[in-house]
Amino acid sequence: MYKTKVRGVLIEGNKTHGQITADVMRPMEQKTPKWWFATMGLATLGMLAGMYAIVNTVVFGIGTWGLNNSVAWGWGIINFVWWIGIGHAGTAFSIFLLILRQRWRTSINRAAEAMTVVAVICAGLFPLLHMGRIWLAFFIFPYPNTRGPLWVNFNSPLFWDVVAISTYFMASATFWYIGMIPDLATVRDRAKSKVKRAIYGFLSFGWVGRAKSWLRFETAALILGGLTAPLVIAVHSIVSMDFATSVMAGWHTTVFPPYFVVGAIFSGFAMVLTLMIIIRKVFKYQDYVTRGHLDAIARILTFISLIMGTAYATEIFVAWYSAMEGEIYTFFHNRIAGDYTGAFWTMVTCNVVFPQLFWFRRIRKNLTMVFIISIIINIGMWFERYVIIITSLTKDYLPANWAHYSPTLTEVLIFVGTLSIFLIGVLLFIRYIPMMAMSELKGILKETRKD
Amino acid sequence: MSKSTLNIIGIFDDEDKLLGSIKSLQSKGILIGDVITPYPIHGVIEALKLKTRIPYAALFYGVFAVVATFAFLYWTSVVNYPLRFGGKPQNTLSFVVVIFIMTINITALFTIVTFFLRENKGPGKVADIVHKELTNDSYAILIQKKEGMTVDDLSNINILLKETGAIEIVQKEVKP
Repeated sequence: MYKTKVRGVLIEGNKTHGQITADVMRPMEQKTPKWWFATMGLATLGMLAGMYAIVNTVVFGIGTWGLNNSVAWGWGIINFVWWIGIGHAGTAFSIFLLILRQRWRTSINRAAEAMTVVAVICAGLFPLLHMGRIWLAFFIFPYPNTRGPLWVNFNSPLFWDVVAISTYFMASATFWYIGMIPDLATVRDRAKSKVKRAIYGFLSFGWVGRAKSWLRFETAALILGGLTAPLVIAVHSIVSMDFATSVMAGWHTTVFPPYFVVGAIFSGFAMVLTLMIIIRKVFKYQDYVTRGHLDAIARILTFISLIMGTAYATEIFVAWYSAMEGEIYTFFHNRIAGDYTGAFWTMVTCNVVFPQLFWFRRIRKNLTMVFIISIIINIGMWFERYVIIITSLTKDYLPANWAHYSPTLTEVLIFVGTLSIFLIGVLLFIRYIPMMAMSELKGILKETRKD
Repeated sequence: MSKSTLNIIGIFDDEDKLLGSIKSLQSKGILIGDVITPYPIHGVIEALKLKTRIPYAALFYGVFAVVATFAFLYWTSVVNYPLRFGGKPQNTLSFVVVIFIMTINITALFTIVTFFLRENKGPGKVADIVHKELTNDSYAILIQKKEGMTVDDLSNINILLKETGAIEIVQKEVKP
């Protein structure tokens, strides 16, 4: 069925295999542009600011954050969930489309997977720092110890998180790297300088491209893909259980796992869209990342946005239907109305209302609009995590416990730091790694050509 | 490490010509040593009748991972340090989550290690490059030069490769 011509031409401009290599390798072979250095400088400054904040947190403790006894989770966890969400797209994109045999993934999967790897690193920083005494972080792993030996709590979602996210990081990084090996071999064979040939020769693991290697390569990739696909769903379900298994009003609900998984894919796809529009424009990759590609992502976002709307509505309905005072208070007096109205309605507008504009073909065709909406979605998804965490924690069941939360400079700077790390990752990626999977593009070239 | 052997190598610049050449070589009873392509071509894999047992290995690892993880969880929570809290069972259903994730973790890791071991590849492994363009836009058919081959056999192979569209024919020592 997948052979039907729904998508049209996937690579435009009647390219040859040689042209694909030349086009994809161009940014790596050209002189580094000035804007790259400028952006890198800016990102490094941001990262230094983040490092200052991290040192501050480690040296002085979590007291440097704006947390208190009631609001024990603040920006740290908001940003952790936000980054994990973004980190979902790469694998979701790449793997779901791989096992569904959607050929249009080939132009985008490499960048999306790279994004995943960096985003998961950014995400992992937050819970690590949140532990306070980071030098005891290894306590979370089950190992024979002198405390009994006291094992970790295998029934806690917080432990599941550790297992799931480290597995997710390992699996997506491996999947990304393995997919890259044939392309690194191409870089090695084209390299003019000895140093470059040596480095890419080392990284390409001795790849030659024998028939048997390709068979094993594709089989291993498919197995890895098949294994990682349920992992994508498991990771964010587990993240949602950090909330859902507690008894906080606004958290204790069964809709959380699907709601979080969909939300994660939503924000991740939006980030893919943002990045691909920039990469396409800057490197003139219009023939590879066609309007058809961007159109397909925009359509997916419209659909996911509707699911998000349904999830929000379900939460509100269940709160009302439960007739439980705490739930009703949280939803109707602390989110829809009350102190956090602004954040709640920002979330709804950004995630449910704006993406609906993609129903109009004219808006999907207008890349400036698509770009703006993709950023709006990520802002909306940040606010979603803010709403979930802050509104529930500031006003819990005992009004005596009610507290206010605002982030300190340290927390904000850590977030800025992770944004900068992400940017640095992307910049290194576009400079030193073939941005698109050349071997996969060549594989689909023949069947999607115009003739 | 197996020793390198002398190969007759036909270089092609077109996928269809490559497939055609493989077919005519096989119909003449000539044994094709290997085919090198810049991207996976299923026609080549089918023509050479190649098979892989990686899926069986993965299945085995998966079963092992389920058993091993459950055994570990059972041992820690029931045997080694049983904690009683809230009357909850020590051997609980929620082990499923950790078992599920660890199955993915162990299977993925072992499958990849198997892939690299079978392929004899790893960081820093020096590639035996037959031709520079084979990772770009050319294809190669490798035919091992055996001791019993006569001059006629060799010229036949050469002619056949040329006829079926090889743009270049070289002889080179290649590791199998």
